[in-house]
Amino acid sequence: MGLDAIPEPALEQIEHAGGGTDLVIGMLGTSHTGDAAAAVAIVHEVLGKLSNGTRAVLVVNDGQKGPAVEDVQSVPVLFCHLPTPASTGGPPLNASAAYHTVFGLSGRLKARACGVILSELQPVTAQWIYRLVQPALDMGFDLVAPRYARHKLEGLLNLSVLSPLHSALYGKRLQNPMGPDFGLSGNLMQQILGQDSESRRANPSYPLASIASAAVCGGFPVCESHLGVRLQPPTDWMNLSSLLAQVLGPVFLDMEHHAASWQRTRGLQAVPRFGDPEPAPEEAGTVDRSRMIDSFQLGVKNLQDVWGFVLPPTALFEIKKLSRLPADQFRMPDDLWASIVYDFALGHRIRTINRDHLLRSFTPLYLGWIASYTRDLETAASAESESRLASAYEAAKPYLVSRWRWPDRFNP
Amino acid sequence: MWNQIQQALSGATVRLLSQMAGLLPGIVALVLALLISTLAAWVVGAMLRHSLTGIHFDQKLPQWGFPSLADWSPHKSPTLLVTRAVSWTIVFIGFLIALSVFDVSLTSEMMHRFVEYLPNVLAAVIVLVAGSFIARFLARSVLIGAVNMNLPYARLLSAGVKWLVLVLAVTMALEHLRIGSGIIRLAFGILFGGIVFALALAVGLGSKEMVSRSLEREANRASTQATEEPVSHL
Repeated sequence: MGLDAIPEPALEQIEHAGGGTDLVIGMLGTSHTGDAAAAVAIVHEVLGKLSNGTRAVLVVNDGQKGPAVEDVQSVPVLFCHLPTPASTGGPPLNASAAYHTVFGLSGRLKARACGVILSELQPVTAQWIYRLVQPALDMGFDLVAPRYARHKLEGLLNLSVLSPLHSALYGKRLQNPMGPDFGLSGNLMQQILGQDSESRRANPSYPLASIASAAVCGGFPVCESHLGVRLQPPTDWMNLSSLLAQVLGPVFLDMEHHAASWQRTRGLQAVPRFGDPEPAPEEAGTVDRSRMIDSFQLGVKNLQDVWGFVLPPTALFEIKKLSRLPADQFRMPDDLWASIVYDFALGHRIRTINRDHLLRSFTPLYLGWIASYTRDLETAASAESESRLASAYEAAKPYLVSRWRWPDRFNP
Repeated sequence: MWNQIQQALSGATVRLLSQMAGLLPGIVALVLALLISTLAAWVVGAMLRHSLTGIHFDQKLPQWGFPSLADWSPHKSPTLLVTRAVSWTIVFIGFLIALSVFDVSLTSEMMHRFVEYLPNVLAAVIVLVAGSFIARFLARSVLIGAVNMNLPYARLLSAGVKWLVLVLAVTMALEHLRIGSGIIRLAFGILFGGIVFALALAVGLGSKEMVSRSLEREANRASTQATEEPVSHL
């Protein structure tokens, strides 16, 4: 979408009103009908904490008013109409439109930094936005990634695949490499806009997969900020396979795009963190492990032929052995899980089977991992499990590199 | 009288020998044409085998949705199957050309009918190949979807979809080949209609309770999970 859906007069108006802007803030999590004043109050609070004279433009998702430009309490506000993210616990389906709108506007206004908030806006405070934009504006960082306060059962796909995969590939440990809230500098935005045509070909609908990797591969300084508790919509378990396909597809495509870079990366570095971590909320409710183990066993029984296209015989054997274990002994080794993710990434690249089939067939394996992880939590802390998993991905990276370079040497 | 018999016999022998002598050039031409077509078949076969081996045809074919072709191929090599099919086709064409030496009208009519029938054969092959590919794709989609929905009869559903599409493709191919079109159409109608009718009865009457319990259980499970389980993925 970008700025294409916004009429040129509106763009000229905001360019005139926001000339000399330092900062563009996009609060695009949910429609904020009639609540622009509240958003502007937050922006004023943020500007009060930043250096004197910092000017900002606000972009708000408002279906009733957009596209339009208004001056609200001396802050130019661009109202745009972006379809609200689906409340399925999945990725913001229109992250592409949101990011392209904010990036396009920032580029046009030549802003020094921008902050994009795609999370539910209820817990978002001025401190949240300040921590996202201040390192990019004043401290020389080009990408500010979020760090949320989570209980141990939140963000499991992020925990099991996205974060450790990103860490192992690019050498920078980020809790949320796919945001969805980010702070970016003008330099990084220019880089991303410049690569935009190529990126859109690789990831036409989901740019979040490529922001962190583009920053790290481009040598841009990256940091994290503690933001607090993020409000999560309830998970739609019936559409879990769609979620996996939507999230992992762009991630694997991004791996292909940056293959030359991550194959050279060695070691793992922590990135600077800002802000004080908030205590994680208590989780309420219990997890039905038996259901997940049943799904895993059903997958093992029926999808061996499909998995056989991407997984080597040793992995298939281990999975089959795992499916025969009783629930109280069910534990998926971290190295097995890491190699499964890498094999799926390879299968996605060389297209051994239809990509959508491949990603959807990942679902039973993911549910098996969740069942194993929840059992692990009975004896070990979440941080310990995370650290072990990250080490397993790092240790299995040479396996990924060799199979990536010579895919024909091993043909399952 | 003996002289007359001798004359009759010698006359018949002369006629026989002259007819045989008349055929000899044709036989020589036939053998020559066969030799040339065999040589051409060998050259084309070698080039084709080299090309198919170069693109790893045997390894790529299962990925394209034809894993069972290797089982039907000589020495489990689809490359060999394709190469031999092409070679023998060239030899057969050479044989038909060679036959024209004996009776031009007969072979030209045979060639005419063969050439007229060839598009039907090609269309049938395309329909079979496309049908096989579509059947496998749909079967895999249904299998993965059913497993993700925790349906215990996922494999049965997948096999049902695959065989329905394959039966449809085979029927269409036979229709193109004009082989028993009437009876094939009737048999297909009975078979396909019977399968669909049986499924409708099973769902509508026999398995109504089971299917509704299964779907209700999954729906309740999903909604219970959403409200009671504290898990999120991103």
